[in-house]
Amino acid sequence: MDDKELDFAVKYPFTDEARKAIAGITLTESIADRGVERIKRALEGDMRASVSLRGSDKEESIASFAASRMILGFLRNPFLTSRFAVNEAKIAHGWLDRADEKEVDAVARIFGIATTPEKGLMLITLPVYLRFSPRSVDYRITNRRLIRGMVEITYHEKKRLVEEAVRKHVERIPLVKDPPELIKQAGEKLLDSLPKTQAGSGKLPSGAKVEDHPPCVERLMESMRKHENLPHQARYFLATYLMAIGMNDDDIVQLFSDAPDFKEKITRYQVTQIRKRAYSVPSCATTLTYGLCVAVCRIGSPLNWHTLGKERKSLIKQQMAGSMERVD
Amino acid sequence: MDESDRSLMTKIFSSYYSQAELEIVGIEQREFGVGFSRKIESRHLAFAHPSELRNYLMNNTPFFVSHSISYYEHPAATPMEKKIWMGADLVFDLDLHAEGKYGAYPLLDKVKSDLSRLVTDFIKGDFGCKDVMLAFSGNRGYHVHVRDKDFRVLGGEERRELVDYIMGNGLNYRDFFSEGGDKIAKLHGPRPDEGGYRGRFAKLALKAVQDDPSSIHRGLKQEKARDVFVKGIMEGNWSASPVKKNSELIERLAPIAKMLPVASVDTDAGVTQDLSKLIRVPNSIHGDTGLIAKVFDATELERFEPLRDALMPASQEIRVRFLEDVPELPLRGEATGPFKKDEEKRLNLSIASFYVLKGSATIIKR
Repeated sequence: MDDKELDFAVKYPFTDEARKAIAGITLTESIADRGVERIKRALEGDMRASVSLRGSDKEESIASFAASRMILGFLRNPFLTSRFAVNEAKIAHGWLDRADEKEVDAVARIFGIATTPEKGLMLITLPVYLRFSPRSVDYRITNRRLIRGMVEITYHEKKRLVEEAVRKHVERIPLVKDPPELIKQAGEKLLDSLPKTQAGSGKLPSGAKVEDHPPCVERLMESMRKHENLPHQARYFLATYLMAIGMNDDDIVQLFSDAPDFKEKITRYQVTQIRKRAYSVPSCATTLTYGLCVAVCRIGSPLNWHTLGKERKSLIKQQMAGSMERVD
Repeated sequence: MDESDRSLMTKIFSSYYSQAELEIVGIEQREFGVGFSRKIESRHLAFAHPSELRNYLMNNTPFFVSHSISYYEHPAATPMEKKIWMGADLVFDLDLHAEGKYGAYPLLDKVKSDLSRLVTDFIKGDFGCKDVMLAFSGNRGYHVHVRDKDFRVLGGEERRELVDYIMGNGLNYRDFFSEGGDKIAKLHGPRPDEGGYRGRFAKLALKAVQDDPSSIHRGLKQEKARDVFVKGIMEGNWSASPVKKNSELIERLAPIAKMLPVASVDTDAGVTQDLSKLIRVPNSIHGDTGLIAKVFDATELERFEPLRDALMPASQEIRVRFLEDVPELPLRGEATGPFKKDEEKRLNLSIASFYVLKGSATIIKR
């Protein structure tokens, strides 16, 4: 393997090239420790990365990614896994931004992301686009040029799609039932070093009962508990809603700590801004355009849920359940 | 429906299933669900071969039979996770909501134009799907099954995106336009040869200019003004209209934007999105109507009439007594009814079954 190939493997440690590069390497304590560091960096949202390493150091860097995955496969903590995947994907995106088109294509190809040039833009097939585009308003196909199963994207968007593909790929970590002793120790070390709140308590703040939110909010809270990566609009909606029903900033920040890319400072700043500027809760029509509406409540604003009677609420939920059962 | 009605219906269904066309793509990877008095009473069934399914339907004869839109490695395994998901068809459900027991049937024909747009413009046109099968739902709507391999892998959220697109959720036609370029504020907009909503918007606007120019602006009643405007739109230049301000023109086009999505019928988001969904087996009988969930080709859409073409084949006749008033309906290609409560009538077996299963008639015992 020449230097160029090795650098490629360091930058994109989830590739076959990376697997080949570390094929003959045995797990050492130093690699396991670097695996722990790599996960901790993800928790801090540290996306820096460099290849200015020398020889065996490069291989150890690649191996640390494999070690991180084994640790995560052993711990089976969706919060940690999700944060790790988000961070690794962002690191990869950083490399892609510095790479030439050939290199971007080489990474894209791994995930079946192929584009054909079209008048300065590119075309990508609809199913691939749907699988790897972030769930945000900007990427909704309603607002895109779509012709015969091809979607128009920019080069920048292509790289964003690759980032999403990396995230999804890294997130799928096989279960490691009986790992080497070094991995077990590393996993325990990692858990010990985490502040207790950071692992995601999974508890709801006081004052908020899961049963008594409109179906769209319940769905979001459920996603949050599962450490899913909610799009910006969903988080904004959730924050404004929780504020409106009287939850305090601390509790809201706490709730968002389950997000895979949680950074307390940033979340707190955003929550404070929303309160300071008294942003209002999006209407039902707006949540619909965000793709967050999941039921037919006919209440205009999610807040009006709390003006409904018990019977009406359960009827709406029954209809939701019913629509899942209906076959006709 | 009393016991003797029910047992006769069972015999009729069973005899239909002995002949029915039950080819199902990937049958051995599908989960099946059946019901005797409602849609699904038991699920997690599996059949390795169409003949196994046929035998089951002939011998057990449920009134409702559905299969998963998903393909599984172990379709009969429980819980769901153990089935091991391998992909799913993209299924759209066009369902009609109308007042009264018989209210939907006269409207079935109208759904066809939406169905046609859904299939031609959206599924085949914009999405570029090729393997598309249509079926009557057996009651008040239609199902579209899309089996293109590269769409099978899509997850629930990704399917929701497609439904939102079809329903035009989040669509803002004002985003089609932008100003600038030249010294005068030129209005750039969609061209009719573009794909998706943009192209359709331009085409609809051109049609409106020709058919009803004053709906956009009085000035367009003049042929010359029309020609200039149309010529501009062909090239994506919308400035050449008699409307002074660009923003005003855009607002005047609002009614055209309303016609863009398939909105009159719910393309049921639940069905498309929910991967554990079971959908009526194509060519099986709907137990609430006795109508066949008949498969037909997209090219036959114009000619297909469910109340004529989806009745079970039957030549015998049978006497029934009506239990309530029933309006006139075009069954088997003939005006049938109206019938009054307590009226007795000799009817073709498939028509009689329809009324019996609807709970409007009972078979007269000899």
